[in-house]
Amino acid sequence: MRSGPQAADGEIVRAVLAGDRESYARLVERYRDRYARYAARMLGSADAAEDALQDAFVRAYDQLAQCKDPDNFIGWFFLILRNRCFAERRRNRTSASLEAANDVAADDRTDGGAESAERRRALQVALMELTPDQREVFVLKHVEGLSYTEIAERLSTSVPSLKMRMHRAYDTLRELLRDHT
Amino acid sequence: MIALLALPLTLLTLQQPAGAGIPQRLAGRVSPALGSLVVELGTAASARGLPIDPLIEKAIEGIAKGVPAERVATAVRLVATQLDTAAAALREGGAVADTLEIAAGEFAITAGLSGSDITALARTGANAQALTVGLRVAGTLAALGVPPAEDIGLVSATLRSGESSADLLLLPAHVQSEVAKGVTPAQAAAGLARAAAAQGQHGPPPTHPQHAPAPLPPPHPPAPPHP
Amino acid sequence: MSGHDFHPLVKQLLDGDITLADLPSELRVEGEAALRLLAAVDRTEISMPAVTWRVMATLERRRRRFLPWLLAPALAIAAALVILLRPTAPAPTAALVTVRFVLVAPDAKQVSLAGTFNQWDAHVTPLVRTGATGVWTATLTLPAGQHQYAFVVDGVRWVPDPGAPAVDDGFGRRNSVLTL
Repeated sequence: MRSGPQAADGEIVRAVLAGDRESYARLVERYRDRYARYAARMLGSADAAEDALQDAFVRAYDQLAQCKDPDNFIGWFFLILRNRCFAERRRNRTSASLEAANDVAADDRTDGGAESAERRRALQVALMELTPDQREVFVLKHVEGLSYTEIAERLSTSVPSLKMRMHRAYDTLRELLRDHT
Repeated sequence: MIALLALPLTLLTLQQPAGAGIPQRLAGRVSPALGSLVVELGTAASARGLPIDPLIEKAIEGIAKGVPAERVATAVRLVATQLDTAAAALREGGAVADTLEIAAGEFAITAGLSGSDITALARTGANAQALTVGLRVAGTLAALGVPPAEDIGLVSATLRSGESSADLLLLPAHVQSEVAKGVTPAQAAAGLARAAAAQGQHGPPPTHPQHAPAPLPPPHPPAPPHP
Repeated sequence: MSGHDFHPLVKQLLDGDITLADLPSELRVEGEAALRLLAAVDRTEISMPAVTWRVMATLERRRRRFLPWLLAPALAIAAALVILLRPTAPAPTAALVTVRFVLVAPDAKQVSLAGTFNQWDAHVTPLVRTGATGVWTATLTLPAGQHQYAFVVDGVRWVPDPGAPAVDDGFGRRNSVLTL
């Protein structure tokens, strides 16, 4: 957590519920980037992620009175965002994969050149072929860097069941990427 | 197509591939030295609760304008310093300095105002939203040639009289209108300040009713998705 | 590579429970391939500045019952004219504002707008020349907030807006300021 004389989440939540709508912008500003990467990797495109984040913040505002622990706004918000990401399943899989490929391809050229860009792109496309649950555990562990225990806590599930999902994901990825060595 | 930034924020990332963290918009166009500087300043700024966008924007601006890397580096360092000054000045004035306010304060300093000018505005006790707009307007007035004293005088009076953000935002246009008629920016600002103070004596206009977020019909707690 | 699944030990390697050195030698190659797969993961952090104002604009739009627009007094200043279309109700600071940019440049062959709202890209926001009088215009819808910009004439000359407030850009030039 960053230090500094900023209002705690709970304070801002209470202010918004008391009628200070504009203060909600401070919460959005504070957390808009926290799960942007998660949303982008889950949905396969930054544009879709931006839409999902926007929708999730609006929904969180609507349901703000139901936030049981205002000082942990972010944990509650994550679940709303997560729901929104899983609801995106209606997207055509082909177009999502293409967008993912384009996003990663138009990428930074400072580490490794064309070959690693191609690998990144291939992996992101392959990720979109996993089930959302498998993709999520992969993203939370290998992109966001959480431990199995932390993930289990957040998703209210068990470590063994997460590992089972993950190991299936590894096998699918291996199959899909076997031509990329 | 939205712009993407890659920043080494310390929030969640445990592993970083080498060379990563350089903002994507700068990647490939920035010398490694400049890229590292932006990353270093951005990380330090973020840790102090300062906004990072002003740093990135200044770097992008310099590169787009074809400015030599060293000069861009100097300008980015200056923005970082100004962000610190703005944050300190806001806290000195009793404001809880969030990133939007600090960025607005940094703009005011770019426009020629000082830390004490910012502190003076913070001391009006305006809420975060109004203070942010007030700082932007103060900077804009300075950019129009209004001297600091008249500038802060006008914006403070307007903040204290309870005017809305919309009215604050119209101040520069009013000053420009007056100047077009032949008065100096200082005179224009002073005249407007007198009018704002007079309104303050009659009391602020009735505050507009604020609405709390509408309660939802049957609340749906987020349910875990089905596999 | 064959279509077999990863060996369970290699999966433990991927999970971070063991290291490459812990693998029996016949699994090393597979282990290295697995780690290469992981190394291709894109961990680039992403920032989305637009989300804040878009969220607040959505919240405001849903609240508002009607939207009376008022044309603010036109600023007739010699060379440039900026028209702001603004609601009369107390404007939420997350509104969208339509702004018209104008530059009089009869000798220019091409004029564009570059600023904080388009990453200072001189190629994406061209102005359009109206008639033969050398008046170039562009109309943009921008989020409320602080913006800086300049005109770029013939792709090379950076020119601040003569009618707008100006600040030092830190590079020896001036930027125009737009506070919405």
